Order: sequence, then structure tokens, then C-alpha cells
Amino acid sequence: MLTCSPACQGGLTIELRCWEYKYRQACFARRQQRIAVSLELRKAKKDEQALKRRNITNVSPDPADQQTKGDSLTLQEIISGVNASDPELCFQATQAARKMLSREKNPPLKLIVDAGLIPRLVELLKSSLHPRLQFEAAWALTNIASGATELTRAVVDGGAIQPLVELLSSPHMTVCEQAVWALGNIAGDGPEFRDNVISSDAIPHLLTLVSSSIPVPFLRNIAWTLSNLCRNKNPYPSDHAVKQMLPALFYLLGHPDKEVLSDTCWALSYLTDGCDARIGQVVDTGVLPRLVELMSSSELNVLTPSLRTVGNIVTGTDHQTQLALDAGILSVLPQLLTHPRSSIQKEAAWALSNVAAGPRQHIQQLIACGALPPLVAVLKNGEFKVQKEAVWTVANFTTGGSVDQLIQLVQAGVLEPLINLLTIPDNKIVIIILDVLFFILQAAEKISQKENMCLLIEGLGGLDRIEALQLHENHQVALTALNIIERHFSEEEETVTALPARDQDHKFLKDLTNTYHCCTTPKPGPRP
Amino acid sequence: MGKKQNKKKVEEVLEEEEEEYVGKVEYLLKWKGFSDEDNTREPEENLDCPDLIAEFLQSEKTAHETDKSEGGKRKADSDSEDKGEESKPKKKKEELEKPRGFARGLEPERIIGARDSSAELMFLMKWKNSDEADLLPAEEANVKCPQVVISFYEERLTWHSYPSEDDDKKDVKN
Repeated sequence: MLTCSPACQGGLTIELRCWEYKYRQACFARRQQRIAVSLELRKAKKDEQALKRRNITNVSPDPADQQTKGDSLTLQEIISGVNASDPELCFQATQAARKMLSREKNPPLKLIVDAGLIPRLVELLKSSLHPRLQFEAAWALTNIASGATELTRAVVDGGAIQPLVELLSSPHMTVCEQAVWALGNIAGDGPEFRDNVISSDAIPHLLTLVSSSIPVPFLRNIAWTLSNLCRNKNPYPSDHAVKQMLPALFYLLGHPDKEVLSDTCWALSYLTDGCDARIGQVVDTGVLPRLVELMSSSELNVLTPSLRTVGNIVTGTDHQTQLALDAGILSVLPQLLTHPRSSIQKEAAWALSNVAAGPRQHIQQLIACGALPPLVAVLKNGEFKVQKEAVWTVANFTTGGSVDQLIQLVQAGVLEPLINLLTIPDNKIVIIILDVLFFILQAAEKISQKENMCLLIEGLGGLDRIEALQLHENHQVALTALNIIERHFSEEEETVTALPARDQDHKFLKDLTNTYHCCTTPKPGPRP
Repeated sequence: MGKKQNKKKVEEVLEEEEEEYVGKVEYLLKWKGFSDEDNTREPEENLDCPDLIAEFLQSEKTAHETDKSEGGKRKADSDSEDKGEESKPKKKKEELEKPRGFARGLEPERIIGARDSSAELMFLMKWKNSDEADLLPAEEANVKCPQVVISFYEERLTWHSYPSEDDDKKDVKN
């Protein structure tokens, strides 16, 4: 233990100022130099342009930037170089073009397109004797295709797709990989170009590349390009294409790399966002158990698309939903209602709402897996977009469930948060909640518990709210509220105190009144 | 039109309409063997198809109830604001980035300077077997090469001593 005698008490400082000052000076000097250089270059460029008449001046990237990239070729030199027949010159120029197109800020994509370089670049894709040239050309085209639709169109119109597909068979892996990337950008533009890529027979070649021995970055590119081939609607990708890709997607789903998994799951999410038959194709490959595993991932990039895929699957047939339930989605979905991200909570609640839209056996499984408590919690405290999905879940549950299941729903405590939501400005949701209350009252009627249910709802402030809604400006809200009052609350008033005590027969109400007496804060008393 | 005389059979009751002033109920009927163009409206008392009417009223009720509750699967919301989380449709390939700092795979030799870069402390690191020094966050260096960091700080320690009341007490305990 270090002790200080009074003589050396004081403090410690660490002397850093010296170096910092020198560094600042050096920075400043370098900046001055850069400014001087760029001024020189601008002047030189102006002179050059004054001598030659060009029509390609529009979008003007900072000429200084171009030069300081380590390549001293002007745009004009690049154009003539790319068109040259000398392989070395051609290569230098194409590489320079590629570097221009790869810079971080505002690469001059349109400039290169307007210079008419695309046809030549496409031609260079075919120079199998010069793979480095093929690589640079493919990279340049990749970046042009990464731009807006008209730029991608320019690449497609230049005939790039076919030669790119041929490069998928190149013996040089870097060339191959670059072609995959370029095709991914083209396919990602939309359904038209996607189908152009598919009809150029890209898929079988892509699938051949998928193997356990290729480097992970390459596999990532392939997964991403495949996902773009599954993407977009109007039209959806063809059955034939999907059938070809599914086995590869199944294989990729087993890979440990997060990015590969993420893009593969996105691919499946696009496919399942379609008709029941398409969902069936996906489910038949047997991906469900693995998807359930991935839904427990701590990686948001993996969780989001796997959850989306499962959510899509349960919008399908009851049979498909059953398969999802068999795979164990209900062991994960309720937990996701408490995920830190509200977008995940929302997707989980949406998936649950679609399970609740199924037959009673599915609703029963919802109850059995313990989905009700977190659902009620979300109804109480969730963000509005999550609460909406929870309301749908309750609504579907109510219309599809048996009386017994409805009792359990009420016992879980849905009434209080539902009634509290009656004050929101979203009319559609308000109507849904009113319908839920109507159904619950009807169910109570069937087991001769209507009066008690009315009291319960009244005690939670529900009657006041429903009465107020009769005067709502929205016609349908008002009518729905009126309907409830007329149907269930317009009996003669009975003495409030006697009823709960009288009920000996049905355990349900006893439990219920106990629950509410314990848990709820005092509500406004019964109407005068 | 005297349907009873012609003995046309009612196929289906399509609609119910209540005449405002008279308070009479009329039904829109589809006749068996006739197309929809021949549908007619008939007052209640003209009809002799109580089963069909009952069926119609029941289906109306169910339809109304189904509309209200809207059970059934709901597909993905295509206007979802969470679209931004989807993977990028297009990607530009940028210059291969030069690895920096520890990513270069070199062993740290010593820290030759420090800089406060936008509220984050950075160290200038000299690496073994390389002339090129580069910057890395102090946070990272503290974890990955703490001894190097300590040496850096120790080399630059300055002690300050303040005059104390007991100047004659000179013993230093270490």
C-alpha cells in the first residue's frame, strides 16, 4: 500500500500537451498543403476544359478528390483508356474508373454512364484471358447498378446480365464473387430485372457455388443475391425458380455466420409473404424448427427476419399454423412480447393474433403456453403499435374461443386494460374493443353470469366509457356502443351489493371478483 | 306481377328493404331458373317461402357479426414503418479498407502520443516491425495491452508537492 508523507501530498498530472500541440501543427500544415494542391489542380482542369469542348461537364465531383486518390488519370484519359485495345492501358483505365466509382462520397455513376462506357465494360467482362480486367469491369458495373433504377437499367440495357452469369463459372473466385454481387444489385432493383436474371439461368450457377469450402464473405454475397432473387412482388418469383432455390436456402439456414443467416431469413420472409401455396412450399422444406431456434437469437439482424418469416407462415392455412405450433413457436413468441425492441414486440403480437385467429385447439395452445399474462402486460404498458396487435389478438381469441376459453381470457385480466384503451383516438381499435366486450357479455349470458359481468365492467369504469362513446362523432363507434348498452345494460337496476355474495354455484365469478378486488385500484362507483 | 299464378319458384332471398312511410317490408328475390336480371322486389305478404326468409335473416345476422369481429388471418402490413430494417436491395462496393489499429494483426510496441479526439481519448501506437503508427481508441488499448498503456502514463507522471505545516517531518513510508 502506497502512503504519501505530508511532504509529497498533492497530485499527479500526466504531461501530454507537448505531443498534442505538435500533432495539431502537423495537421494544420497538411491541410494547407491539400488546399494548395487542389487549387493548382482546379486551375489546370479549367485550362484543359477551355481548350477542349466537352459536353460531359454536368455533375462535377471535386476534381481534386479524383486526383488525390492515387490515380492521376483524368476522366478523358479514363474514357480513352477503357476503349483502348492495349490490355495494360485498358486495365489501368478500367481500374481508375472502378476507383472513381467506389469512392465514399458521391461516386460519379451517372458521369460514367453518360460517357458511354457501359457497352465497353460489358465487353471487357468477356476477356477471359485477363481476369483482373474482368474483375475491374465487373466491379465498375456493380457500382453503377447500385444506383437508382435508371442506372441499373443502363447496365441491363448494355447487355451485362448474360456475360455476368457466364462469369459465375469463372475459375477465378474473385471474379466469380464480383459477378454475384453485380447480379444481386441488378436483381434487387425490382421484379422485372430479377426475372431477367432468373431467365438467364443464374440460379443453377449460383447454387453450384454454394458449398462448405468457400470463404464466408463469398457465401454472404451469394446469400444476399439469392435473397434478392426471392424478393419483390407483382409478380412473385416463379414457382420453378423458388423450387430451385429452396434447398440452398435450407442449407444456408444451418450456417453459423450471422450475415448469411440474416439474408437467408430475409429470403424466406419474402417467399412466405405470399399465397398459401407459396408458404406451403417453404414449410415443406422443413425450415420451421431451425426458424424457431433463430427466433431465440440475440442478434437483431437474425431475429427480425426469422420472426417475420414465422409471422408470415401463421397467416397461412390452419394446417401450416399447426406445423409452426408443432415446431415450438409458442415457446418463444410470448417471451418476445417483453423484448427490449418494440418492433419485435409488435411482430410477436401480430403472429400471436394470427394464431388466435385459428381453431379452438390453437387458442387452447395459446393459453397453455402462457401467452395470456405477457399479452395483458403489453395491453397495459406496451407502445401503441404493440397494443394494437394485442387488441387484435384478444379480438380473434374472443370470436374464435369457447366460453371456457373466454373465461380464462377474462381471468387473465384483459378487461381492465381494454377498457382503458377505449379513450384512444383510433376508431377502428375502439370498435374492435367494443365488439370484444359485447362478445364477452354474450358469453357471460350463456352461463347466466351476465349481471356480474356487467358489474365487473362497470366497476372498471367501462360502463361510463361505453355510455360516453354513444355520443362519439364516428357513426359506427356510436352505434356499436349503443348496441352494447341496449343489449346488456338496459335492464332494470338491481341492488348492487347482493349479487356477488349470492353466487355460490359458479366458481368463476368468485375467483374473478377476488382477482379484481385484490389487483385493481378503486374505480369510480356505480352510476347514480 | 302475379308470381303465384305463374308458379315460379323463389331461389333465394337477396335483400330486405323497409319502405319508409308505409312501413312495409319488401324482399329482393332471385327466381329459380331465371337469371339475376329478372330479380324482383316483392312485398312480404306476397311470399310463400318462409324457410328461405328465415335462412336469409339468419345469414344477415351472421354476416353482421362477422363484419364486426373480423376474425381471420391478417397478412403482413405492407406499409409497415419497420421496412427500413429489411436488408438493402442494392449495395455499392467501396474501396477495400485498409485495416487499422489491432486489425492489422501487429503487436503493440509502445504508445507515442495521446489525443483527445471529439471527446474520445485516442493513442498513437507504434507497432513492432512497422514504421507506420496509427490511432486507436484508448478504451481498446486499455483492454488489449494494459501494460503498454501503464508504461505510457508512468513515463509522463509528474509529482506536485505542496508546502505542508509540518515541514520538519521528513519520514516517507513506502
